[in-house]
Amino acid sequence: MQLDFVNRELTIKLVYYGPALSGKTTNLQALHRVAAPGSSGRLMTLETKDDRTLFFDLLPLSFRSQSGLAVRLKVFTVPGQVIHASTRRLVLQGADGVAFIADSRVSETQANTDSFMDLKDNLREHGLSLRQMPLVIQFNKRDLPDIRSDEEIAKLGAQGREPVYLAVAMRGLGVVESFIGLLHLTWSALDAEHDLGRKFGFDSIEFMNGIAQKLGEKRTTSELLSACVGGALEVLRPEAVP
Amino acid sequence: MTSPAPRDRVDELTVGSGARLEELVDRESLGQLATSFADLSGVGIRVFDAEGKLLADAAQPVELISYLSTLKHSRSAIESTVSSVKNLDPGPEGQAGIDGVSGGRYRVVALEHDGRRVGRLVIGPYFPPSLRDIPSQLLELEPALDLDRARQLLTMAPRVTDDSMDRLARHARAALDVVMFSGLRALLTGSMHLAAVRESYRELQSKQDKLQVAYDRLKELDRLKSNFLATVSHELRTPLTSIIGYSEMLLEGIAGEITGEQREFVTTIREKGEQLLTLIKGLLDLSKLESGTMSLRKATMEVAPLVRDVAQTMAPHAKKKGISLQAEVEAGLPALWADAERLRQVLLNLVENAIKFTSAAGSVKISARLSSLSTGGSADEGGLVLLGAQRTAVELRVADTGIGIPESERQRVFDAFYQVDSSSTREQGGTGLGLSIVKRLVEGHDGTVHVEANEPQGTAFVVAIPLKRATLRP
Repeated sequence: MQLDFVNRELTIKLVYYGPALSGKTTNLQALHRVAAPGSSGRLMTLETKDDRTLFFDLLPLSFRSQSGLAVRLKVFTVPGQVIHASTRRLVLQGADGVAFIADSRVSETQANTDSFMDLKDNLREHGLSLRQMPLVIQFNKRDLPDIRSDEEIAKLGAQGREPVYLAVAMRGLGVVESFIGLLHLTWSALDAEHDLGRKFGFDSIEFMNGIAQKLGEKRTTSELLSACVGGALEVLRPEAVP
Repeated sequence: MTSPAPRDRVDELTVGSGARLEELVDRESLGQLATSFADLSGVGIRVFDAEGKLLADAAQPVELISYLSTLKHSRSAIESTVSSVKNLDPGPEGQAGIDGVSGGRYRVVALEHDGRRVGRLVIGPYFPPSLRDIPSQLLELEPALDLDRARQLLTMAPRVTDDSMDRLARHARAALDVVMFSGLRALLTGSMHLAAVRESYRELQSKQDKLQVAYDRLKELDRLKSNFLATVSHELRTPLTSIIGYSEMLLEGIAGEITGEQREFVTTIREKGEQLLTLIKGLLDLSKLESGTMSLRKATMEVAPLVRDVAQTMAPHAKKKGISLQAEVEAGLPALWADAERLRQVLLNLVENAIKFTSAAGSVKISARLSSLSTGGSADEGGLVLLGAQRTAVELRVADTGIGIPESERQRVFDAFYQVDSSSTREQGGTGLGLSIVKRLVEGHDGTVHVEANEPQGTAFVVAIPLKRATLRP
């Protein structure tokens, strides 16, 4: 997180992590498609080879609160291929929240696990633990055959700590839900740590609803948040959510 | 000023303060873009960065303005317009306009990148087509105005409606936005490349450090092993000498007569003791050689008596196996500067090996001749003529017609404890130390030893011991 007191500007870094070809870039493309013009910048893709990300993709989103605080969200993807370990570590540096995009297919279970361990290792390299990092998990490609069943994911998800979302990023399903879930966790953590709401007279609910609106959502934040299966998504002041 | 580390640069460009206009757009290209805009619209354009520095200037001369600038009152009015245009803030709308005394207008457009103001475009002056005549305020301000001339010049001034100007300004902004986006992408790609290379280097460096530590530790362990071997061998030898000594005394009957069976047993004890002693001596030699504590007592020595002596020593052994043992020494060999005892050990070892691995009716041949030895450099690496040197050497060759050694094993036979075929060892005996001792002893004489095939069958070990430098071949 970068805080610019002079310009009343806050920059939050969100990273989409996961194994190769799990749909990280597709998630960003879907977000970019639904984002209202003016609230999202261009989706930048840095260096691709055969449609595979080499460095990262970057989607900037912005929001200005009524109190005048400008929030800039920078959403990154890492390159999933195993060989780009050092690039992943570089991109992960300074992340405020992580969305782990897993491939739902049974055949990809090991790749998901390896990538998750890689995330854990890389966080440790930056002196962070998985426990401290706001994290959501998305099971993508729900429309493919031979996937891990909804029941299995729901059962494991309910035992786990992180909110889990089901998605078909190609068709934009579950993408906004996952993003709002990640943003909610990240914002809550940052607010708790830096007391941003009080310092800037910033209304978190207004912020979350504003972002959802800019992503073309008619549903409220709490409706979006409740789309997760399992995990502990402690809803911020639930009574205040409209 | 030092530039920031690449990874910090990536942060700065993405989540930090962002890039400046000048970093995103090449100045010359910006100039060309501005000129092209001015050509298209007929209206001048200037590009300023966030600090107000002029980056590109494609001003179009407007003769009406040039004429007015020659007049006293209107000149100061024009100067004041220009300076207010320069300092005009486009406001939250990102656009602002200003009217000059001549009726000409300026448009100031904010350049934004990643939600931040990075500069301004100043477009103008342009005259709305609705302006039909010289504004009356100009007539009041400037009594000396030549109205006919001014009217004539006004017809030549660039005419653009405010609507068209809106579109032109949008176009200029959009074009620059594309350029800035590409610029940022190029900047980020470059920084990422650098950062990724640095990161990989850092990773390699840390792996290399770990390897170095492991390597140092192994070296230390190797030294400890040699020391341990030396100590243990020494400690083993002392009681063994007593065992052999006392068995000999028993055999000599010093402790009284012994029966035939007792003699047989004691003989076995002595023989096995001697075998053990040979092994321990080998270990001791090897550890001394490895730790570099073995000293060679070099002196002038003749080769022929050495070869003869070894052949004589080994003859009964060869005969027992039905192997013919021949020795051949070239006439007139120069004397060597070497440790005769150690060289004898080398030759004995090789001949013993040869006999061991040759079956009945085979032959073993020892030969000695003058040859030359290349030292230093290699033909593969180049520079042989500079790095290498030819030295005259005495070549000792032990050739057998035995089982042979596959080419892939020929280097490894000199490793301590290495045996080509461990199943044959059980049959043939041996510790696997002999050849590694041979190699070290030969190297102690600056010589070389290698294995080659002995056509049509068998193996030849070739030892080359160089002569002293003073005895180079004339």
